[in-house]
Amino acid sequence: MLKVEELSKNYGDLVAVDKVSFETGKGAVFGLLGPNGAGKSTTINCISGLLQPTSGHASVAGHDVVSDGKAARRNLGVVPQELALYEDLPAVENLRYWGKAYGLHGQELDSRVVEVLETIGLSDRAKDLPKEFSGGMKRRLNFGCGIVHKPQVILLDEPTVGVDPQSRARLFDMVEAERDAGACILYTTHYMEEAERLCDSVAIIDHGKLIAQGTLGELRAKLGARDILQLSGSFPEEATRHALEILIERGDHDLEVISQEELGLTLTLSQASQHLPAIFDTVSGAGGNVTETSLRSPNLETLFLLLTGKELRE
Amino acid sequence: MSFALTSFKKDISRWRQDVMSVLIWISIPLMIGGLITSLIGSDVKPHGVLLMVDQDESLLSGFVAGAYSSGELGELISVEKTTLEDGTERINEGDASGLLVIPEGFGAALLNSEPVTLTLKTNPSQTILPGIISNVTEILLDAGFYAHQLFGDEINTMTSMSDNPPDALVAAMAVTIQNKIESVAPQLFPPIIDVEIVEPPPKEPTPPLALLFLPGMILMAVMFSANGVASDWWRERQQGTLRRLVYAPGQLGAFVVGKALAAAVIIGMVGGLTLIIGFFYHDVSLSKLPSSLLWVALSGVALFSWFAVLQMSFGSQKTASVISSMLLFPLLMAGGSFFPLAVLPGWIAVIGRASPNGFVADRLTAEVTASSAWSIAFSDWLIVLAAAAAGLTVCAWRLRSGFARA
Repeated sequence: MLKVEELSKNYGDLVAVDKVSFETGKGAVFGLLGPNGAGKSTTINCISGLLQPTSGHASVAGHDVVSDGKAARRNLGVVPQELALYEDLPAVENLRYWGKAYGLHGQELDSRVVEVLETIGLSDRAKDLPKEFSGGMKRRLNFGCGIVHKPQVILLDEPTVGVDPQSRARLFDMVEAERDAGACILYTTHYMEEAERLCDSVAIIDHGKLIAQGTLGELRAKLGARDILQLSGSFPEEATRHALEILIERGDHDLEVISQEELGLTLTLSQASQHLPAIFDTVSGAGGNVTETSLRSPNLETLFLLLTGKELRE
Repeated sequence: MSFALTSFKKDISRWRQDVMSVLIWISIPLMIGGLITSLIGSDVKPHGVLLMVDQDESLLSGFVAGAYSSGELGELISVEKTTLEDGTERINEGDASGLLVIPEGFGAALLNSEPVTLTLKTNPSQTILPGIISNVTEILLDAGFYAHQLFGDEINTMTSMSDNPPDALVAAMAVTIQNKIESVAPQLFPPIIDVEIVEPPPKEPTPPLALLFLPGMILMAVMFSANGVASDWWRERQQGTLRRLVYAPGQLGAFVVGKALAAAVIIGMVGGLTLIIGFFYHDVSLSKLPSSLLWVALSGVALFSWFAVLQMSFGSQKTASVISSMLLFPLLMAGGSFFPLAVLPGWIAVIGRASPNGFVADRLTAEVTASSAWSIAFSDWLIVLAAAAAGLTVCAWRLRSGFARA
């Protein structure tokens, strides 16, 4: 239903999106993960028709977004990161207006608006102006305006930014409801826990490039059962590297160095807690000093760290 | 077209939430117009008070007092009888236009052709009314002299009559006076020379100055509202709704048409209200209201579209707002909103008429002052229609070329 092939977007010399490809189908949530500025929103803007791709293709329900843009957009619902609402128009009128923008009318429009109000939990506030709503309610209405025309493909661009936990949980329910109703959803976020809860498959994007892609299971397998061990303190570069090489050569664990800097050291290994004394001995033997230790079991966040050597939210 | 109407209704609903802006657009020109009209356009005639001290209390002194307050002179001057002390005090305080003292013995002196002195003191802080009083007094005295020459005997008889003279005496006097008038009429009213009267070409009646201000005032309201409604593009952009519109399939054109329709209604309402008030105030025929209203609404859409183009050309709402305001006031000044084009010096009026609002105001002036409705040339309607269409086309292009996406 949503197919992206070798999609690129350049701004002069800056490559915002670099040959990104992925595909997802009906009743699935595809997560596009990456830190701020990684190229997630640019990818979404190219798919939604807001930006013209420099090269590559994207199609929605079989319609190319450039050559058959109208048909593609008719099947596409977008929930933008920034709110896109008429604050001075009642909630129900917002939904009706955007429904009509996609060609709904009459009984079909009426019943769909009632349905969406129910879904987003604003039936009792339907006639109120959004400017009187809380941030979470506005987010829900923003979501409602994006799905009122019952699109086959929904693009959700970081829909939970600035949302309180209660509204976030509600948004998750709404996304799951749309998925269960058969929609194909592209969900961008930099919150790994959201992706882990909602997404069937995930692509990780950084500096405009996809660096990993697969189902959650496949990505976890890439990590193996290895933990991520992050040490803060001071680590003389040469001596620490040499000491760690000796430790790895001993071969009694699957230790791998992800990144090594003067003030931080990131390692991955299985059952890291059992090997902590040996690692501390090695580091202190090389003249280093550990002031803080962080041990994380494998998840998408640690995968990102493994792939890029940096935190997702940096 | 369906989505154009939907967008139109949406904008009207939104503007209903912002009634205050609409009221401001109407009230500023009305306030300024009201002020100007009250200063220059009122039909109130100057009115003065002549204080009269009648020390003679005779029939003839009574005629003098009555002469000032009769006919059209009575609309300008009120005569108040008073004492010399009170009259002197009031004229010294500037409380009247003049003080006329008729001395005792005035009637007798006039009948006996003896010299008599009337004292007239005028108010130096006033210019017109004291002059009128002074001239009227001189004319009255001249008239008194000639009346005495002609009807001296009859006047003597009248002054010596009792309050209820016999009818026969009154009738005899009337006949005598009539005979005297008839005998001198050929000398008094002769056709001394033959005059060929050449009718000058009929002149168009000059409209009152206050009425000439009306189109400028209406255009001020139209300009304020056109600029205000045009700023809605920025509101939409900041609310993110333009961006969402781009996601929708092929609705930009209909959206622009919807906005233009809403602008026509809002500007038409603002202009229409000021037109109605102006028409009633200046007693302009209501048969010209439909044509004037249509002209104002259509011109308003053209002005709105070009204000929108201007505002959409800048990178921030603040800059757009400052630039459009900077342009608005010189345009109002040049286009006759503060001074009617008809009273501006020639070359300034030429520039004013070339300005967009001046062009519209000039035709509106012609419409409201013409003898019949629908006097605006068809070509002028076409010019405004073309300007509106061109402006809206540029707006749609600007939306597509990036304004909506930012």
